Amino acid sequence: MWNNSVNLSKNLQYLSSPFLAAYNGFLSQQTRNTFILKRRTPPGLAKKNGPSKVLRGRHFVYELVEDTNVRKKPDLQLILTSYVEGLGNKGDLVTVPRNKGYTKLLLPRLATYATPENIDKTKAAADDQVSRYSSPYVERTINVLSTRTLPVLMSNTNPWVLEKWHIRTWLRRSGFHLQDESITLPDKPISGPNPAMEGKDFYITVTINKKEQVKVRCRLFQIDKKNFTVPEEYYKNTAEPIFPEDKSILDTMPGFYLRESKSSRI
Amino acid sequence: MTTNKLAQGLRMYYLKQPNRFEFGIGTEMPAAYKKFYTEWKYTQPTPVHYIEKEGKYARNEATGEVYPVQNVPLPLKYPKEAHQGLWGGESVIQGFQKRHRLKQKIPHFWVPTLKKSIVYSEVLDKYIRVTLTDRTLDLIHKNYGFDHYLLKTPAYDLKSELALKLKRKILETLADKSLYPDNPAKKDEVYSKYQQYLSAYTKEEIEWYGLNWREACVKMFAIKAAQTVVAPLKHQYRAELIVELQNESEMPAEPEESSISWLSRLNPLSKSTKTS
Repeated sequence: MWNNSVNLSKNLQYLSSPFLAAYNGFLSQQTRNTFILKRRTPPGLAKKNGPSKVLRGRHFVYELVEDTNVRKKPDLQLILTSYVEGLGNKGDLVTVPRNKGYTKLLLPRLATYATPENIDKTKAAADDQVSRYSSPYVERTINVLSTRTLPVLMSNTNPWVLEKWHIRTWLRRSGFHLQDESITLPDKPISGPNPAMEGKDFYITVTINKKEQVKVRCRLFQIDKKNFTVPEEYYKNTAEPIFPEDKSILDTMPGFYLRESKSSRI
Repeated sequence: MTTNKLAQGLRMYYLKQPNRFEFGIGTEMPAAYKKFYTEWKYTQPTPVHYIEKEGKYARNEATGEVYPVQNVPLPLKYPKEAHQGLWGGESVIQGFQKRHRLKQKIPHFWVPTLKKSIVYSEVLDKYIRVTLTDRTLDLIHKNYGFDHYLLKTPAYDLKSELALKLKRKILETLADKSLYPDNPAKKDEVYSKYQQYLSAYTKEEIEWYGLNWREACVKMFAIKAAQTVVAPLKHQYRAELIVELQNESEMPAEPEESSISWLSRLNPLSKSTKTS
């Protein structure tokens, strides 16, 4: 242990010195990699058709030429055999990182290698395809939007009627940039300030690519202009609906998934 | 001939080390196993840990002198763990490092990075948890699948006993056509994909493929034991006796002997002309 620390400090000294290239002690500790080696002293030439030279100690002193594990591995070209969320439809040619492609796609048989025969086969089968979604990323967007509780903060002093641009603003503040056309408000108008609606839920409908529809849970807060901040961890609590007839729909929507961190568990 | 007299004398004591197939049970091994074993053990594997110089002759840049290119491979070590995983031709190298010109050379082992992963065999329709290296995965991807990698790669590059055993199993399944017994459509599809590899092997070669020396000996002894039938000697003697008795019964009985009474035979003092 002591020796190691001494070596380390020595190595650090060497690292800080300008003659780093001349000293390779720091990186010459034993690591477990694929090595390409070279003899420092190659054995002499053997006689023609004669026995090979007897190897001496100096012929076993090796130098590292290359460590192939450090080399960047090329991506994998795969053909999907079924629809994969966030990647593509069946028969799509995709390029994915090597390890992800092997563990997430090849082993569960969601994809095959893009061999020339496989490419031809999928080209032939490409015509009769029915895609479930308008884009491979739609399912991901639906998953994110449907589990979200959107805070909608309104004034508690000035009179207001909830409009599309209010929702658009609060979606943007949550990280979703979309246009007014894709937002559908509840049928009944919501207006305030109204203390009876404070901290209660309603839902809006978001249309993705003019095709898929997803309902988003919103929570109404009426807050003073001076203290205009979103309440802390409001999404962990459940709330009553503003319109009692919406209760059945709001109850079926997927809620917040409580992620417990390791530190909070003790 | 060397000019050294001692070397000349020592030469007379030199005896060639006998090959495994030249004595004992080795002489009785079938040609199929001998072929596999020479491919596995006596063939130089493709260089993984060093770069081979190409060409027959090279020129010294400084002097312009032409010299023949002789590649001396690095000695490789295959520990028993290499036979329990798929190292993709990698191995352990024992050697020295010279870390500084004023320091002694230090013994060093270069060991490949091993990781636990899973491979899927399409022919066997099985997921297998194995220890492998990045190079193995590279080769699997390069050959478009684990089965293609095993079937395309010769024994001297697979090296590991596990890989060779899996290869034999795949070859056996293809030869017996026992893959996907419940799904005939899939069976035909997969069989047509891997059928091309079967032409390189006869049935006997598949049977003897991937066996290590010990397993081959056990197999050979079992075959020999089945061939030699050991019958108890009493069966042989009984049969001989029956034949003898049958012969006797066929022979006509001697009438003269029956005339002599049994008492006269017993009497040693009676002087009979017939018994003399």
